Amino acid sequence: MTQHSLAAGRRTPWLPPVPLIGAKLLELRKRRTLMAVTVAFTVGLPVIFYGIRLLYHLGNPARYAPAGAPNAFATAGTLMAEFGFIAATALGATAGTADLTDGMFRHLVITGRSRLALYLARIPAGLSILLSLAAAGFAVACLVTAFLGSPELASAVTVSPGDMIRSGLWLELDLVIGFTVGLGLGSLMGQRTVPVILLIVLEILITPALADHVLPYFLNGERLVVGVAMDQLKPAALAGGTTVGPGGGPRGLHIPPMPTWAMITVIVGWIIGWSAIGAWKMTTRDA
Amino acid sequence: MTTISGYGDSPHPRAGQPVPRQAGDWAVEVHGLTKRFGTRAAVDNVDLLVPRGSAFGYLGPNGAGKTTLIRVLLGLARADSGTMSLLGVPVPAQRGRALARVGAIVDEPRFHGHLTGRENLKVLAAARGGDAGKQIGPALDRTRLTQRADDKVSAYSMGMRQRLGLAACLLADPQLLILDEPMNGLDPAGMHEMRDMLRSLTDEGRTVMLSSHLLDEVERTCDAVAIVDHGKVIRQGPIGELTEGAGVAVEVQCPDPPAAARALGQPAIASRVALTEDGLTVTLNAGSAREQTADINRRLVGAGISVYGLRQTHARLEDWFLSVTSRFGGEQ
Repeated sequence: MTQHSLAAGRRTPWLPPVPLIGAKLLELRKRRTLMAVTVAFTVGLPVIFYGIRLLYHLGNPARYAPAGAPNAFATAGTLMAEFGFIAATALGATAGTADLTDGMFRHLVITGRSRLALYLARIPAGLSILLSLAAAGFAVACLVTAFLGSPELASAVTVSPGDMIRSGLWLELDLVIGFTVGLGLGSLMGQRTVPVILLIVLEILITPALADHVLPYFLNGERLVVGVAMDQLKPAALAGGTTVGPGGGPRGLHIPPMPTWAMITVIVGWIIGWSAIGAWKMTTRDA
Repeated sequence: MTTISGYGDSPHPRAGQPVPRQAGDWAVEVHGLTKRFGTRAAVDNVDLLVPRGSAFGYLGPNGAGKTTLIRVLLGLARADSGTMSLLGVPVPAQRGRALARVGAIVDEPRFHGHLTGRENLKVLAAARGGDAGKQIGPALDRTRLTQRADDKVSAYSMGMRQRLGLAACLLADPQLLILDEPMNGLDPAGMHEMRDMLRSLTDEGRTVMLSSHLLDEVERTCDAVAIVDHGKVIRQGPIGELTEGAGVAVEVQCPDPPAAARALGQPAIASRVALTEDGLTVTLNAGSAREQTADINRRLVGAGISVYGLRQTHARLEDWFLSVTSRFGGEQ
């Protein structure tokens, strides 16, 4: 038997090493269907949207505005936020459950690696895929807005580089939330279908309903919903010109503005809270 | 000093060395281990000692608690009470350190089906850290998977997944391998190959602990065994010693084996009677084998059954296993 560097005194640090993150990245990016959906919802969507806008404009410039018009930027951003959130939850839930459902979890636990490290490795691995694709999709929106906008409208309503940066950061934050909540909920439930459905319902039905209707005795409860806080933080460039609240979100029209610290607390609370719940389940689950 | 009655002072059956009796000389040491699911104890106050460098069989019928004990040992499930150590390192207190030199397969070996065998090993090597990545090639070679290493695992047969599981174990350059039913799903050639592989691992000084219900395979592969039933370890020690204490079996040739079995069963004359192709195999109770053999002959002739032949054989592990587990079950 050969000597081995792992022989004695090995500790189990909770921080995941880079190779472990790389291994998780490999495992996720090799899932063809998941990657196809993620690419379609992050990059494909703005490409198709602007492609259609461009064709319409080329076909009838008098009737259809240029593809890079500011309202198109807002629509593309909203589409990317909604569908990107779905892709993020699917990726997060998959990252949170794949080891368990594929039967790899016990192999990984038997390596002696800290369960917390195994869990935490999923976060940078998943986010590196998601955020890079979302950045590529958003870059398409920015390039079209910058170079295929309407010259005659340039002096009126425009999307400045600052607006683009704020919008891009907001979109990335939205996807980080979708991923971490999907990851935590998936880890907690041990399966991915129900968490994805629940989060789609939250994003598509519950959040808009709460944001558009003030419930007098439940206002603070409404504000605890992460989508409500995110809507209030939404940059004006993505809000289609409606500006209410610090970020200028359109749905915030009916909800009294939240203080910035409250929005940040809600958002950070959701990210950390769900990550902690997932980590707790990962470290206590029978493998 | 840690002792266990099953091993006594007998020599180690393979290495010819005295059985280790110092604490820390055991590859696996378990005392008073209990794991309950609700009110049912799947592992019930188990004491278990596995000598280093041995091939050790953990035998029991389905549902006896074999896999549960292994899962608790490896930190996959929590024990309700008891103490454990692997390679002299206490678990779960120093689980990471203990498992650094342990390889294990628990239940059916399953992997990411969308990844290749090599990629799955990369994932596990990354989790192990250290030099584990360098062991991927040698582990694939040793388990004869190199040619299929770049195929997706979803296309692997059960036998190939078993071998991939063993390759995953070898990434740790393990001093101890804990294998749960490693022969499951293997064809005869695969079982032969696996047996040779396990033998070669013990020849290198590694300890192999395998759970199984395939008694014949355990008898061929292992030096020592523990028998578990209803969550309790009821016997443990070198196979030779255990089966020696179980007495002998008598093969009976006769024209009507079912009638002969009935004649011997009322009242019971032996601990176990099994029908064979041309007769019976009767496992004797403790006591004089000559007298019991003569008694069998008298009983059959008295029942009007012709006896063509009676032949004494040493009880095999299977005979002994069935006799002790059924006896144990009868005491419950």
